[in-house]
Amino acid sequence: MGKYIKTALILASLMIVIGIILGLVYMATEKAMAKADLNAKLSAIKFVLTNPRTGKLLVSENQIPTTLAELDLKIWKSSRSGILYSDPKYPGFVLSPVYRFLGKNGEKIYVLTGFGVGFGGRVVTVAGFVQQKSGFYENAIDVTDYSNETPGMGAKINDPDIRRRFFSIPNSGFEKGLKVNKDAFLFPLPAGYLSKLSQYKKKGIVVTSDVMTGATITPRAVVNTLNAMYDFLEKEAK
Amino acid sequence: MADSRGNFSNFGIFTAGLIRQNPTFAQILGLCPTLATSTTAENALGMGLATFIVLVASNFFISMIRKLIPTEIRIPAYIAVIASFVTVIDLFMHGYTYQMWKTLGLYIPLIVVNCIIMGRAESFASKNGMFKSLLDGLGMGFGFIGAILLLGITRELFGSGTIFGYTVWAKSYEVFVFVLPPGAFLVIGFYLALFHYIGSRKKAKSTKKA
Repeated sequence: MGKYIKTALILASLMIVIGIILGLVYMATEKAMAKADLNAKLSAIKFVLTNPRTGKLLVSENQIPTTLAELDLKIWKSSRSGILYSDPKYPGFVLSPVYRFLGKNGEKIYVLTGFGVGFGGRVVTVAGFVQQKSGFYENAIDVTDYSNETPGMGAKINDPDIRRRFFSIPNSGFEKGLKVNKDAFLFPLPAGYLSKLSQYKKKGIVVTSDVMTGATITPRAVVNTLNAMYDFLEKEAK
Repeated sequence: MADSRGNFSNFGIFTAGLIRQNPTFAQILGLCPTLATSTTAENALGMGLATFIVLVASNFFISMIRKLIPTEIRIPAYIAVIASFVTVIDLFMHGYTYQMWKTLGLYIPLIVVNCIIMGRAESFASKNGMFKSLLDGLGMGFGFIGAILLLGITRELFGSGTIFGYTVWAKSYEVFVFVLPPGAFLVIGFYLALFHYIGSRKKAKSTKKA
């Protein structure tokens, strides 16, 4: 009996020591982790507020938040549950909060964070939508979490050449639901497809099969997220 | 050779993990993270360094507490120690190497179940002093970094035409399968055969001399 108690006490003591050490390490790294998370979020927001063609900001420089307090001032809608909208048609979700900025020409620009279900879990996307007279125009995206996607395949989703395929999508592209080219039966790709990428976007087709061979699930997760974002804006911001 | 008996020179213990008992190519341990994260040289180096730190620290710490831990609970105790070091690495990578932390994702927490670390804890650190265990951890760790980096460089070079992101040859020479899971098996198969061949030739030469 005494042997068992001794063993249990040794194991418990070890766990207590480990717990204290981990607590101290967490306290030491907490600020750095929060800063890294915030910096990643801020850089994603700045990225989606930049015109991908000209490289110029859609908003004035002083509107770009540099601290959490400044970012909080831009909150347009939020929810305690953490999820603002889930698309009934596609497995896409809009996360809280949604930010709103005022563009250089007075137009409203919404920055949304959302996720779709990828190969290994959540694929989190940040996207900027410009409110135009004709409807919502998707400016740019940044995929901020794809850590569970397959390295070399789905995990290439945020490579600049691939991410660009999801930029500059007009509202006509979202009206019937955005799709990846394989789901839109645009496969195999026709000759000269590269010069028609913008036309495909107008029809709601994002071509990814050439740059993400063998990985359809991850771009589909991004597309589903963008569809949910668009639906949310159509319902809440119009 | 650096085995559990610990009756070899410090130099022998350190160098064993580099080639003769290399954890990847000789002992064929911890292949899952090795194959999964060696898609690029950068990822391979990140995973190699993270595993190296955990291996060295856990070897040293387990050796330090080995006389206090009863045999019956040694495995849960070692796992707790290894998991703690992995958590420390995970927290630091989150705070200071955010992009690498994001890229390696799930594979960082999975270092806990890497057989190399548990294997060295059980077969060496639990039976030897702190200094020797530290040397063993360093040797095995460098051996692992070398192996995973070799795989990462090869796969990135043939799969993407780059090394550490720097272009080496044109896109038209890329063989995409190298960055895919089958490519990982092909590359490791090639290196295993190569090292086995070199080992056999050396053995044959030494037998002839004798």
